[in-house]
Amino acid sequence: MVEKLKEKENRPGWIASINPWVLKIKNNPERVAFVLHRITGLLMALIIMAHIYVTGTPARVGWDAWAEEIAKAHGISAVTLYFFFFAGIAWYHGLNGIRLLLVEFFGVCIGKPEKPKPPYISPSLKACQRKLLYLVFILWAILWAATGYILFAS
Amino acid sequence: MSFDPKAATRTPPKVVTFKVKRYDPTTGKEWWQEYKVETYRGMTVLDALLKIKEEIDHTIVLRYSCRMGVCGSCGMIINGMPRLACQTQIAEVATEANPVVTVEPLKNHPVVRDLLTDFTRFFEKHKKVKPYTIRKDIEEREKGDFEYEMTPEEHYNIYEYTLCISCGLCYSACPVVASTDRFLGPQALAYMWRYVADPRDEAWKERLELIDTDEGPFSCHYAASCSAVCPKMVDPAAAIQRLRSALLKYRLGMYKKEKIAQKKVVEVKPNPKPLPPEAQPVPGADPWKKNEEPVNIPIDELIA
Ligand code: HEM
Ligand code: SF4
Ligand code: FES
Repeated sequence: MVEKLKEKENRPGWIASINPWVLKIKNNPERVAFVLHRITGLLMALIIMAHIYVTGTPARVGWDAWAEEIAKAHGISAVTLYFFFFAGIAWYHGLNGIRLLLVEFFGVCIGKPEKPKPPYISPSLKACQRKLLYLVFILWAILWAATGYILFAS
Repeated sequence: MSFDPKAATRTPPKVVTFKVKRYDPTTGKEWWQEYKVETYRGMTVLDALLKIKEEIDHTIVLRYSCRMGVCGSCGMIINGMPRLACQTQIAEVATEANPVVTVEPLKNHPVVRDLLTDFTRFFEKHKKVKPYTIRKDIEEREKGDFEYEMTPEEHYNIYEYTLCISCGLCYSACPVVASTDRFLGPQALAYMWRYVADPRDEAWKERLELIDTDEGPFSCHYAASCSAVCPKMVDPAAAIQRLRSALLKYRLGMYKKEKIAQKKVVEVKPNPKPLPPEAQPVPGADPWKKNEEPVNIPIDELIA
């Protein structure tokens, strides 16, 4: 008897671009950066639409009501929290975006091809794009905290 | 992939549990099966799987050949990371605290059965990038009386990329391939860059135009997982970025291949040291003539 054999598709699908731990790959923070970049990019696209709607409010309610509402946005409020959330997304996407432009479009910061030797780590994983990535994370934390300070303390 | 050169000198846990993902193509059923394996120092995951196949369960299916990280057929996902089973020491992946090793078939390749994956699509993409040197003058390739000039520096620019063993680990790790079947993938594109950068290849324009689609380097998002799993340090992630910036420059009319290697006729020099008698050509034997009477090799004379 000839059995009918079915091959199984084994592609994780889009989940691989929002979950960096679909695979547990070592020495690969670039993958975390990629996932964060995609999530922040998509969130920004959503937020921009909300932003366009919100900036149209004066046309609907009048400038006085708008100014009154904005004057209440001090300390921890829905408006400042929303801005804080947005700032976190935008700082990361912008900072990492600069790194990606250097790496992807100018092809710099990815090291030089070299003769393999132990412990066999690919040159691009040791190159300055990795240092830039850590710099992105550090600057992100600092700038986000500073934005929070300006939003909540002043 | 980074290797721990000392892993083979460490003793793995005495008994290790192997959790193997099984798939039966006749029923379409999938399940995890556990095996307990007694280990020894220097045992690799492939050794353990073969021990399971010999002593516990011979229905388990996997592919391997060289057992020494050369043929690229034993790729599988070991403890969540694509690796070559024959190059992965159990001592590297199992600890005394957690003596468990999970083994799954490579992702992004269709599964035929258990750990065996189908590489047809992968090799079709490999074929698509024309992985061979192309010269305008076809006939010159047929004559063996010359070489293409190349400096050692030019060689080391591409050497890394020539080490690929087509094991498919990078293809399995790629999050872009995970969501689209169109992307050529890290292995094929690394090969493409190797020939675009190789001074001996003349078809760089055709090559760049061939990959100027959504199958090409523009679909890459630099997750760099390919370079993180490659067992041969090929660095496909960097190759794709080089390809992409070359392609961008080419589109702007700013890219030109720096050097095309030219023919250099080689003088066949006589060997400075005379060959030993057993290596001297046998009188009357001409290796270029076929269908010739077999020559009588004077074996007794040579031995004496
Ligand atoms: C400072 C300004 C910005 C910079 C430098 C920047 C940079 C980049 C870069 C380089 C990429 C390509 C990433 C990759 O190849 O994986 C990208 C992707 C993307 N960006 Fe931006 N971007 C900026 C602002 C924005 C804004 C304002 C939005 C939202 C409206 C946005 C939404 C996206 C989206 C949705 C993606 C696709 C993500 C993906 O495919 O993974 N970006 N950005
Ligand atoms: S580039 Fe590396 S991981 Fe990819 S197929 Fe070649 S050897 Fe394997
Ligand atoms: S069996 Fe050849 S690479 Fe593992």
